[in-house]
Amino acid sequence: MSEMSRKRILVIDDAALVRTYYRAALEPRGFIVEEALNGVEGLEKLLLEPFDLAIVDVNMPQMDGITFLQTLRAKELPVSGIPVLVTSSEAGTQDLTAARRAGANYYLVKPIRQETLADYAAMFCGEPR
Amino acid sequence: MMPDAAPEITEDEFRRLADFLYRRTGMVFTETKRYYVERRILERIVATSSPSFAAYFTHLRSGIRDEVEHLINAFTVNETYFYREDHQLACLSDDLLKERVAAKRPGDSIRIWSIPCSTGEEPYSIAIWLLENWKDVDAYDIEIVGSDIDTRVLDAAAEGIFGKRALMRLSPELIARYFHERDDERWQILDDLRQSVRFSRVNLIETRETRPQGRFDVIFCRNVLIYFDDESRRIAAENLYDNLLPGGFICLGHTESMSRISPLFEVCRYSGAIVYRRPQELRA
Amino acid sequence: MMPDALPLLTEALSRERVPRVREAIFTALAKIGSPDSAAVALPYIRSDDASQRTAALDALRAMPAAAAAHLPRLLEDSDADVRLLACEIARALPGEDASRLLANLIERESNPNVCAAAIEVLAETGDITSLPVLLRCAARFPDDPFLAFAIKVAHDRIGSR
Repeated sequence: MSEMSRKRILVIDDAALVRTYYRAALEPRGFIVEEALNGVEGLEKLLLEPFDLAIVDVNMPQMDGITFLQTLRAKELPVSGIPVLVTSSEAGTQDLTAARRAGANYYLVKPIRQETLADYAAMFCGEPR
Repeated sequence: MMPDAAPEITEDEFRRLADFLYRRTGMVFTETKRYYVERRILERIVATSSPSFAAYFTHLRSGIRDEVEHLINAFTVNETYFYREDHQLACLSDDLLKERVAAKRPGDSIRIWSIPCSTGEEPYSIAIWLLENWKDVDAYDIEIVGSDIDTRVLDAAAEGIFGKRALMRLSPELIARYFHERDDERWQILDDLRQSVRFSRVNLIETRETRPQGRFDVIFCRNVLIYFDDESRRIAAENLYDNLLPGGFICLGHTESMSRISPLFEVCRYSGAIVYRRPQELRA
Repeated sequence: MMPDALPLLTEALSRERVPRVREAIFTALAKIGSPDSAAVALPYIRSDDASQRTAALDALRAMPAAAAAHLPRLLEDSDADVRLLACEIARALPGEDASRLLANLIERESNPNVCAAAIEVLAETGDITSLPVLLRCAARFPDDPFLAFAIKVAHDRIGSR
């Protein structure tokens, strides 16, 4: 697989161990993984380089996941249209609704199995499974 | 040959420190840089007389004797010279000023702040760049202010005398146009350019010193915030916000990010550079 | 700043909706940096408003010694989200203190997300005394894939020389 055809995923979570866990799930499947630790950094990286998917946690310092999503969706295409998978430790409908309203494509509740994350990533990136 | 007394660093130790630095500064250390980074860490372990990596890491975390600053310095180039990070100067003339003058009339003022300005390379670079690259440079009243906490560098900046190294990114034509060569292999900025930049002593974390500088269209605050602790960064960010006109822009150093500093600013992208903006005032 | 600025700041904070002004109030609290000023910021880490929670947490991060005075209590809070945020505040403490408090938390903690937050910080601050605590935690949550991973990583990081 050439570098050009590999899909790029931005993992946005405050916890280094969570980002490491996701990286360990996604890299063996051939994805290129970059990291950010809050919504501001996430936006910066998305604005500078092309990504096929962003995985973002709801709770982060400086800028949380929902605010990140709202800000992202208000930017211009193509950046504003990137698929976003929201993660949260909450399963409540309130949080799910807030995420959907902000423009999330999907919502996963932690803890997330590595295979599950990789499968959803493949689906949103358009990779064959 | 005697074995090297300094300890080697394990993969886990490296990751532990890399995570710490990434969280603190945003610097990412990829595998390709691994050897280079390890060398720098080992130098700091030796410099702090730490008996082990674990002892050094404890020392680093403690904040004693500004070790984080020393470690960051080991990875950053701190030299100042004319036209440093000139992609930001290009962004200024190509994008930022265009936005700023959209609501201005000819003759209106444009205020640009360079803080810290050190020995003046940055504010003079801005002046020269605009004269050379911005077609509307004569249409507006451009005010460039250079500020620093250190009065000695400010005195040097006002004098405007530079050596060969500071001018290394400038073409001979530019040097001939804006400097006059002295006898001692140094060059001095021409008088009217020198007088077009105002220098002032300002401590970025003292609101009573920043406030009187007024509000600016664009601020360059490069490679200083990365060294501040959490509390100082907050205060500095708020001062910078207050010193910006609504819709005004602030540029940080290319390894710096507001993500480690403050949520007050909007993130904008122009020509491959990330620039931050004070939100426009909402109209009633 | 005079100590009796605190009632004014407390009142102002309860009313304020403009982000810039709210940031300034939190910064003023951080600048005072006393356990009392930290106490003013603390209730906001329970806020339903995410940006308010974040602002309060960032302010507390900027005054770690002051926040530390409240940590033992926060780490025992009945609200799991508060315990979770408290773990992050503990990161600013000296390594030994953080590790001790977090190890105590983990031993009695039933919420895996809170454990995860504690382990995240322990991976940075932990020492050899943290290791048995981590192993016992792994045994208590055998079906949590992330915790197993996090404990392994934390174990490896701490276990290094």
